[in-house]
Amino acid sequence: MLLYFIKRLLMLIPVLFFVSVLVFLIMRVFSPDPATIVLGQHTTLEKAAAWREAMGLNEPIVVQYLDYMYNVLHGDFGVSYFTNTPVTTELLSRLPATIELSVIAIIIASVVGVFFGIISAVKKNSIIDNFTMTTALIGVSMPVFWLGMLLIILFSGYLHLVPSGGRIDTLMRPYGGTGFYFYDTLMAGDYEAFFNALQHAALPAVTLAGYSMAIITRMTRSSMLDVLHQDYIRTARAKGLSAKSVIFKHAFRNALLPVITVIGLQFGSLLSGAVLTETVFAWPGIGAYSVQCILRSDFPVIQGVVLIVAFVFVIMNLLVDLLYAALDPRVKYAQESA
Amino acid sequence: MKLSKTKIFAAALALVFAGAAVTDASAALSRKPQDNFIFASTNDPLGLDPAMVDDNDSGKINCNMYESLLRFEDDSTDVAPSLAESYTVSDDGLTYTFKLRQGVKFHDGTPFNAEAVKFNIVRQLPENAIPKMSYAGLVYGDVAKVDVIDEYTIAITLKKKSTPFLHNIAMMYAAPIISPAALQKYGNNVMEHPCGTGPYKFVAWDKGQQVILTRNEDYWGEPAKVQNLIFRTMPETSARVVALNNGEVDAINGIDANVIPEIKQAGNLIFSSDGMSTQYMFFNTNAAHDSICKDKAVRRAIAKAINVPEMVQSLYKGYDTPATTLLPKFVPGYSSKVKPVAYDPEAAKKELAALGVKHLDIITYSGARIYNTVGGQVLAEAIQAYLKAAGVESTVAVYDWATYKNKLLTDKFDLGFMGWNGDNGDPDNFVNLFASDDIINNQGLWVNQEYRDLVSQGVAMADGPERNAIYEKAEMLIAEEVPFLPISHPQILGAYRPNIENFAIHPVGLTFLSKTVKH
Amino acid sequence: MTDSAITLRKSSKWGDMWASICANKAALTSLIFILALVLTAVVIAISQALGFQILPYDPNVGDMDKAFIAPCAEHWFGTDQLGRDIFSRVLDGTKISLSVGVAAVSIALISGTLLGAIGGFFGGRLDNLIMRAMDVILSVPSILLAITFMAAMGRGLDKAVLAIGLVSIPEYARIARSCVMAVKANDYIQAARVTGDSNLRIILKHIVPNITSPIVVRATLGISSAVLDTAALGFLGLGVQPPFAEWGDMLARSRSFIFSAPYTLIFPGLAITITVLAFNLFGDGLRDALDPRSRRR
Repeated sequence: MLLYFIKRLLMLIPVLFFVSVLVFLIMRVFSPDPATIVLGQHTTLEKAAAWREAMGLNEPIVVQYLDYMYNVLHGDFGVSYFTNTPVTTELLSRLPATIELSVIAIIIASVVGVFFGIISAVKKNSIIDNFTMTTALIGVSMPVFWLGMLLIILFSGYLHLVPSGGRIDTLMRPYGGTGFYFYDTLMAGDYEAFFNALQHAALPAVTLAGYSMAIITRMTRSSMLDVLHQDYIRTARAKGLSAKSVIFKHAFRNALLPVITVIGLQFGSLLSGAVLTETVFAWPGIGAYSVQCILRSDFPVIQGVVLIVAFVFVIMNLLVDLLYAALDPRVKYAQESA
Repeated sequence: MKLSKTKIFAAALALVFAGAAVTDASAALSRKPQDNFIFASTNDPLGLDPAMVDDNDSGKINCNMYESLLRFEDDSTDVAPSLAESYTVSDDGLTYTFKLRQGVKFHDGTPFNAEAVKFNIVRQLPENAIPKMSYAGLVYGDVAKVDVIDEYTIAITLKKKSTPFLHNIAMMYAAPIISPAALQKYGNNVMEHPCGTGPYKFVAWDKGQQVILTRNEDYWGEPAKVQNLIFRTMPETSARVVALNNGEVDAINGIDANVIPEIKQAGNLIFSSDGMSTQYMFFNTNAAHDSICKDKAVRRAIAKAINVPEMVQSLYKGYDTPATTLLPKFVPGYSSKVKPVAYDPEAAKKELAALGVKHLDIITYSGARIYNTVGGQVLAEAIQAYLKAAGVESTVAVYDWATYKNKLLTDKFDLGFMGWNGDNGDPDNFVNLFASDDIINNQGLWVNQEYRDLVSQGVAMADGPERNAIYEKAEMLIAEEVPFLPISHPQILGAYRPNIENFAIHPVGLTFLSKTVKH
Repeated sequence: MTDSAITLRKSSKWGDMWASICANKAALTSLIFILALVLTAVVIAISQALGFQILPYDPNVGDMDKAFIAPCAEHWFGTDQLGRDIFSRVLDGTKISLSVGVAAVSIALISGTLLGAIGGFFGGRLDNLIMRAMDVILSVPSILLAITFMAAMGRGLDKAVLAIGLVSIPEYARIARSCVMAVKANDYIQAARVTGDSNLRIILKHIVPNITSPIVVRATLGISSAVLDTAALGFLGLGVQPPFAEWGDMLARSRSFIFSAPYTLIFPGLAITITVLAFNLFGDGLRDALDPRSRRR
């Protein structure tokens, strides 16, 4: 087990290495030159050239890459071309927003998804099952950003129930905390601000959760159905155990495995969804910010974002695999599985 | 036990993230609505060091924290005293001597004096300026030397006469006076640690969300009316409008004509004034590109095909003024005698056919700009429709702004779109664009010696009718040669709640909010 | 029961599948809807190529006086900011969404299947290299990768196809690889090897038929995600060149008017959702039809 873990961890190194090469090539070789816009309206060809020189963009690409990686390994991701601020500062100041939103979304998606998945499986072919499955199917078919806009029109435009964007009312903003508003407001005992943050997060979290919720519902249902058909469940039923006990003690515990895998993988896909959701709801996180930076060729920021996201992504996948192994004694990691 | 775990967790989180948060923990501000003026606009500022940025989103925040030696009047670009109480100009017109205001302190408590002014000028002199200092060349490019005469007197000597110089000094967003102590402390980069002398001082910047300022209680002038200013970032126009109508924010900018009825209906007020910018469609006359547009007859025929007033009315619903020339109406040198090529679809069709113009390549940008609220794509599509009516097919290539600016340097095309936001209210600031050999400024690389001579004559002349006559001549030349088709002078639009008084956007696009009142 | 079904399946596999789909009302309806979409797209494309307009209005030409008309008898879905008929644009958009979807899936399918099959069949270093490359693509969120590609290469249909195709290669590679490995482990392949069959023969005779069905199912579902990705790129302003109608791009343009003119946003969004739904339902039906194990549900 430990050996397997170490082996997997070591395998991350080449993956991250190639990710860094890939994004470096896309940015520095193929992307539009930022020199013409980074200096704003008052650019001249001469100034643009001076800027390129100062940023080291005239060096051979290999030298640029080695320079960059040397700095990254020393914890320096460079400075944003546009704001002259270290990339780490830019990202860390936006990361709490994205993490907060993703965590809420995955909680909503798992709880709701698992709940309806079980009900659908147990009451197979009932009205509830059909309704749930249809909703789930529509859920995976809707563009995230469209769903977001519809929710804004309904809940913010017509019903005035929630604000249409942002993380918290400016005046409620916690001072001197960690940047995680839920945590900060609770710690400060400021429940008004906490509920305000909750209101702000409601629509984006539901939007972001939508797709994953649908996937988790479908997975839970099919996994539960698989288990419910197994002989030992029939045996348990025959023994006269109560329906509740059969479903939760026996069936669900065994159906959990694939569900956990899916939840873990969904956490990764949430990062994709966050790009669109944050854009729609003006959520000040990494997703919306990275789109903005890609469009204006802010190379150091994009390289940083991609490296960090890829790192989180592969670690998540690794954790899912480990969890799988821990929960299922049948899985043995003597050799790499397909 | 549990508590200590939480504490450790909090400490760890704070260690990782709070180091990044630009905030002052001690300064929790009043939550009373009347103490907070919230202003929502499209983008996060690029940074809070005026010398290093030239975007409006930064400028409109910075102008409440920083000042310069001179300033613009509240509603024009006429200069008035600010940190300098008075100035004299030497007889040869080269040396400017400024008498500085006494008893002024920077936000960090350090005193304002002639050394501080010198420090800021030297910082932007050609030998010290880094490429990011967008205005350094414009403002200080011609400075020969800076002399501290005494603690409150400073003399700046230029290499050659420059009429726009005083206007340039008055641009706080180009020639700010920043605390030298802060600049030294933060390694010549106060993008996140602003420190000026203005009526408001910095509290916090939540990236992607808001910048918070609070009243500078030690301000030398009239203290600001509202206690806190909050500049929120809300990228979507529709979201800003709803936030305003719901009372979540007090004022917004970056609106276009389509949403104005909605705003008025909710009982809110519209601010509009003539902006100091011009947008135009340029023809590619670059000799290297060999576009059919290098032929003046073709340019004139295309201009005849486009009904500029109708197009501007329909795109901007009367909130932009159709342009007849390069200069906005209130800039000296503007002449109503300049008449652009008149719309004449029949003649256009005939001439274009006779000239063999069948197809044109149009290149444009996707999003909205300050001088074009509907975006470059919509504008290009409108032009495309007029051309089609004149029997000319065209393709529109749309790029996001960064790519567009690069394509202008590398691609072959016939028509493109651009605009210029005036900096200082001087006509030279506009006309010199097309006298440049730099295709970033003179995108179609129009070369006309007569025009260039006029421009270099104008820049050295003192303000007055004689100078204006020179610029009128230059504009006539543009109308005749049509290197570009002037499209519109956008109005500056903003909207605010009815309980707000004295809200205005300056012609240069900035919001000086110290006189704004919230009831 | 299921074991015998597998061995008997081969001869009448496609007939079985057809019967199964016909029995599944949702899948059948979806299939009919998809065929209608394809027909619409083809008819519009042909008519436009021949130079006559069968749509009620020219989708790309607007009348500025008629901007923002709410849905009415003349304009069923209303008009947009430039006075273009949204109904015509939504129909015209079918062309782009379907062609991008099909083209992107083809790219991903062909290269992904080939890479996966090669890796699975030959194993060893080659396999390792291919799978690491797939890991690289998988470790960056697909939308972020696609945006980065588009920003680097510029807008355009061809580029959108490439970007979307590229980011979905790993899915096909993984499916193909695991299928090939499963088949390879079977006794009859071992036997074929022993009797001296060439690699090519083994691939054609044993492997290709076995990986077809999972790949076909994946491709059907893949079109739906490609349609969604196209819309997402369009929404972020990285889609097709104007004036072409693309659903995501139409949604992006309607964003500024979601309160004043919600109809500009409703219909393109519905078009995307229904199209994607149809491919999803049909894909599910196809999977059930091809995989008897899941059919019993």
